[in-house]
Amino acid sequence: MKIRQLTKRYQGKTVVDGVSFSIPKGKVTSLIGPNGAGKSTVMSMISRLIAQDEGLVDLDGTDVGRWKSRELARRLAILTQSNHIQMKLTVRELVAFGRFPHSGSRLTETDEAFVDRAIAYMELEEFQDRFLDELSGGQRQRALIAMVIAQDTEYILLDEPTNNLDIYHATNLMKTVRRLCDELGKTVILVLHEINYAAFYSDYICAFKDGRIARFGSVEEVITSENLSAIYGVEFQIQTVKGKPLSIYY
Amino acid sequence: MNSTAVRANRRRLMLLAVLALLCAAGYLLVNTDPGNARLFAYSMKIRAPKLAAMALTAVSIGGASIVFQTIINNTIVTPCLLGMNTLYTLIHTAVVFFLGSSSIVASNANLAFGVDVILMGITATLLYGWIFRKTKHNVLYVLLVGTVLASFFGSVQTTLTRVMDPNEYDALLSSLVASFSNINSEILLFSALLLAGVAFALRRELALLDVLTLGKEQAINLGVDYDRCIRRLLLGVTLCIAVATAMVGPISFLGLIIANLSRQLLRTYRHSQLVAGSALFGMAVLVGGQLIVEQVYSYAVPVSVFITVGGGVYFLYLLVARKKV
Repeated sequence: MKIRQLTKRYQGKTVVDGVSFSIPKGKVTSLIGPNGAGKSTVMSMISRLIAQDEGLVDLDGTDVGRWKSRELARRLAILTQSNHIQMKLTVRELVAFGRFPHSGSRLTETDEAFVDRAIAYMELEEFQDRFLDELSGGQRQRALIAMVIAQDTEYILLDEPTNNLDIYHATNLMKTVRRLCDELGKTVILVLHEINYAAFYSDYICAFKDGRIARFGSVEEVITSENLSAIYGVEFQIQTVKGKPLSIYY
Repeated sequence: MNSTAVRANRRRLMLLAVLALLCAAGYLLVNTDPGNARLFAYSMKIRAPKLAAMALTAVSIGGASIVFQTIINNTIVTPCLLGMNTLYTLIHTAVVFFLGSSSIVASNANLAFGVDVILMGITATLLYGWIFRKTKHNVLYVLLVGTVLASFFGSVQTTLTRVMDPNEYDALLSSLVASFSNINSEILLFSALLLAGVAFALRRELALLDVLTLGKEQAINLGVDYDRCIRRLLLGVTLCIAVATAMVGPISFLGLIIANLSRQLLRTYRHSQLVAGSALFGMAVLVGGQLIVEQVYSYAVPVSVFITVGGGVYFLYLLVARKKV
């Protein structure tokens, strides 16, 4: 996926300004940066949730805005931060919606198998017949991620997926992301606030500041104390743990 | 999937259908004398079109309310609460006002209805689509703007009738104050065809309703062409409201009652069941209510009064019981 000169303005204010980079296939790429740096807006434009003012998001030679929505939904899945579901839905019914782009409302046996696998991936077996409004925020978040997994797309986009999750579930989620990439060959793109999660579980990092890309490259190239200090405006120390750069900030 | 719940709902819908049929049979047959063929035929001639009109109203209001609630992702708003039916009344009055009651458009019931429906479809889709976009689907704003619009349309309509030639007004009144006791049965066939056409034209969008309940972003993620889908559904809703208002006049709370009863009874996201439940509840409420009005109160109190009083109380209950809108 190639992103070229992506620009978005809100009421004259440019929030994303000429962003260009290519997302490596079959790898985990994390977008990091301070609040308001434009990472989530870039994510929404990549996934055609909002339209760009200028530029191009090229997926297999066609801009995502010009893809047929249903076909794109079989290639690319996005989970955003805001999810208010009003209906009475069980976890399993929600996850089954992930198969909609493939089979519509009538599920085949293959679809059921995908749903089962997604539920198992997110350790939701014991909750699968519970209603969503009876679950904690973290459990609901995991159910939504299971739905995205059931969608079985080549590209998986997760906008701050570790929000609402405790350390156990956040870490497990990041391990799941790794497995999605390593075992199933998915291309995963994340927006993350936790720099250390980004550093430990991604292959590439794209750091944003003020609507532009500050740094883009492999984890080792981007996660250095000079880079991070420049981007976030606080002091950073980098230590190497298990061969990965762990950042300490205060 | 959760097949026990689906089967339980199917049983509930069957019971509801039996109830609606009982009401219909009661409405047709109570206080008739099948022994006297001519008298019986006469009662049927009066009662059958009314029953058909009520059935059409139940289907159009029931379906439109459920669809509208899903579009705006809130179960407390219905199209009539936002003034769609007063808009229709206004359009109808304006057509007679500007073209004159003796014009070919106003004097032919079906033609008048056709013109009203076209105007209604265009105005309401543009207007409500614009409100939704402007308020970013914020329900409280939509409800507020809608309530203001409802009284605004009402006032404009009253003003038009005040300055109208009295003879024109007289001609208008007979078609304007449609009610359950004075059903506009001339347009029955046209309305039925229109509803069938709407359902057919929107069959793809109707299948997407289940996905729309997940909200805009999820719907787009799952491959729904969101804006187009909402525009078309909204047009369908306005046409349904036009049909119901033209036939039996404005009944504000009916949609709210039957849509929420259906949601409470069925507790599902499946719209095929929700719409069916809503329409059947509509049948039961309208036909049952009219049966009581005609046979017990002998027309002293119109059924719309019961519906408005009952609906108002139910609306308050929904607001208070749910705590958050």
